[in-house]
Amino acid sequence: MAPLWSKISAVLPPNEEDFPLQFGDKVCPSVVDMLKRSRRQLYSDATGAERLLYAQIILDVSWEKLNTGTWRHVDKEWRRVYSYGCLFKAAALCHSDPSSDEILQAVRACDMGLLMGAAIMDNILQVIVGILQLEVKKPSEEDDETEVKRIKVDDSHTPVIRDELAVPRVRCPSLESFNTNYLLPLKPVILEGIIDHWPALNKHSWSIEYLRCVSGCRTVPVEVGSRYTDESWSQSLLTVNEFIDRYILNKDGVKDLGYLAQHQLFDQIPELKEDICLPDYCCLGEGDEDDITVNAWFGPGGTVSPLHQDPQQNFLAQVVGSKYIRLYSPKDADKLYPHQSQLLHNTSQVEVENPDTERFPEFAKAPYLECVLQPGDVLFIPVQHWHYVRSLELSFSVSFWWT
Amino acid sequence: MRWFGFGFNAFGQICVRETPMKEEESDVTQEVKVLRPTELRTSRVSACWSRTASADPDGDGGVRLAGFGVGVSRACGVYGQQSRGCKDAQISESHLTLAFSDRVECWDLQQEAKTASWSMELKDSDISGPPVKLPLVPGGYITPSPPFYHSLSPHLEAKSLALGAEHAILVTASGAVYTWGLGSHGQLGHGVLISEEEPRVVEALWGMPMSRVATGGWHSACISDGGDLYVWGWNESGQLGLPSRGLSKAKQQQISQQAEEPQDEQKHEDVFISIQAFPALLDVTPSCEITAVSCGSRHTAAVTSAGDLYTWGWGEYGQLGHQNVMSSDEPQRVEFFREQQQRVTDIVCGAWNTFAAVIKKDVACA
Repeated sequence: MAPLWSKISAVLPPNEEDFPLQFGDKVCPSVVDMLKRSRRQLYSDATGAERLLYAQIILDVSWEKLNTGTWRHVDKEWRRVYSYGCLFKAAALCHSDPSSDEILQAVRACDMGLLMGAAIMDNILQVIVGILQLEVKKPSEEDDETEVKRIKVDDSHTPVIRDELAVPRVRCPSLESFNTNYLLPLKPVILEGIIDHWPALNKHSWSIEYLRCVSGCRTVPVEVGSRYTDESWSQSLLTVNEFIDRYILNKDGVKDLGYLAQHQLFDQIPELKEDICLPDYCCLGEGDEDDITVNAWFGPGGTVSPLHQDPQQNFLAQVVGSKYIRLYSPKDADKLYPHQSQLLHNTSQVEVENPDTERFPEFAKAPYLECVLQPGDVLFIPVQHWHYVRSLELSFSVSFWWT
Repeated sequence: MRWFGFGFNAFGQICVRETPMKEEESDVTQEVKVLRPTELRTSRVSACWSRTASADPDGDGGVRLAGFGVGVSRACGVYGQQSRGCKDAQISESHLTLAFSDRVECWDLQQEAKTASWSMELKDSDISGPPVKLPLVPGGYITPSPPFYHSLSPHLEAKSLALGAEHAILVTASGAVYTWGLGSHGQLGHGVLISEEEPRVVEALWGMPMSRVATGGWHSACISDGGDLYVWGWNESGQLGLPSRGLSKAKQQQISQQAEEPQDEQKHEDVFISIQAFPALLDVTPSCEITAVSCGSRHTAAVTSAGDLYTWGWGEYGQLGHQNVMSSDEPQRVEFFREQQQRVTDIVCGAWNTFAAVIKKDVACA
């Protein structure tokens, strides 16, 4: 037996009878029959082409279900079917002495299941992708670093922050003092020195090479277009390597901005989760620690998150590069002109750094605070505070949404 | 009239190979994907993802099932009995709907029930009227799962109706088109992506009487009295016959793999359609009118007045009939029927397969 396949079959159930395929009645019996055929193949001498064919049927039929109705209303059972399709596809690709390209395809199949499917069999896709990643050849040392330095030059100007508008900064306040002075009165503040111990800022410094090394072959969602309110804005799925080549190093010379934004990357890639910690101050909230949403925000200079508000408290931790941020109190929402549509009602129509004063005359009257967030800074954005964010250079931030 | 089927056949719903040869690797693929149009002995077909229901030409209008579960849970002969005299049939993953001259019945395919799960008697006035064209029934229409029956306002005077994955389309006696249901992919044709609870007239088609309507998973089509074809909805696989970004990418990858030299001309800014939220006139072939149209989940098939079949959209399972597994965002003529001197007269798409009714071409006319 090929060495990779023996590692993968070691984490699969030992035989067909122990391999679970339990679904609610939302999943039609014909599809369950197809899943059973794939399961039988797993323990038979079926050829790679046969295995791939049935896995693809399962992926195609569940993909259609995932796209029927709105995402929220898609039954979780169909997302589980999709994950099984990804599992069978990855297994088919790795069954007999796979090429390096087939291993990469198998990694992508697992990631698609992790991104769009629902957990199956104790999160077996996560386990298998961990095995596969060890097989993927690490990229040879490239001179990415010099290229990054070169692209930094064309950055737009760094705004000068006026003292009276600056978000206050405090260094490692006690829990009590943070609670009294900022959390209870819902006042924004920059906390300094609270993430200096993160591996991401020390021994595992998040350089391009490091990110390629731990996550290069992994598929992630990327927003393409200047801002999510633009008509031409779209989302696509790329590997971290492709994202870095195209949107950070600009190798193909594309004009579009790409932003790996609002993605729970740390659930997908445990190595990166080891490099960060939940801020202690989150314990002041009433919510459970498991309910804290940790998102990655990785992109070149010039990415913009339009002025918007979120329904939770937020710690925005800056790991790489700097970001210009402006904050407006929820009290002044009447001057911020939120979009009318249901989908964008938490987003302002105003271009913050270039406002249309005729369409939005009240906007100039809204008081605000601003800052340039530097590596090691953590900005506390109180719940429902409106915020506008623009990266000034290559930037990696981590946000913690908590209550 | 003869019927031919092609495309997805993983459950043997088009044909069952009599001598499966397990030795050769490609055989499973050949079983699952019927690339060459293959004849079915029937006079009428309805297809869902895993099954077909066809009229038994030898019986008394009885329905024969093929595909998933047939022969395991319920022999086809049983439905032959229950369906004797039936005038129209429609099949879904869970139910078989049968229309008789005096009643309509829905049978649960997952249980060995001895009686229909639901039925309605037709009134004398309905019986004397035109025959029932499922899923339309007097006063309303039938969906494939309980509660089955949904009423329609009599003012609509629905002439025919088609159901998509989550939307519906009907054409009235006067030729107006109404749509309702999920609108997320432009499938309702109102120019927006919002859903409609109740039938809403497609204003863009106002004044152009339509004769036939069809729906796919996320797209819709209709034919005008003058034989023009209109399409709208999601173009993800080229199912609208409009330029699709996904297909263009796949095509370019193929070109760059084949050709050593990079193709610079390909770099121009193409216009792609992802969602077409208003009806668009599709020029299938300049010289002919369109006489029939049907949609699969992600493909479309249309018949011209010259008796040619054109298909476009998703082709992964051979459902386009071009004897390959290529998708196409342009209507392409299915050459098989021309070569066989067959004239296509009607078309029915299953989710991932296609069925064409043909007659022998009149040699004197050709």
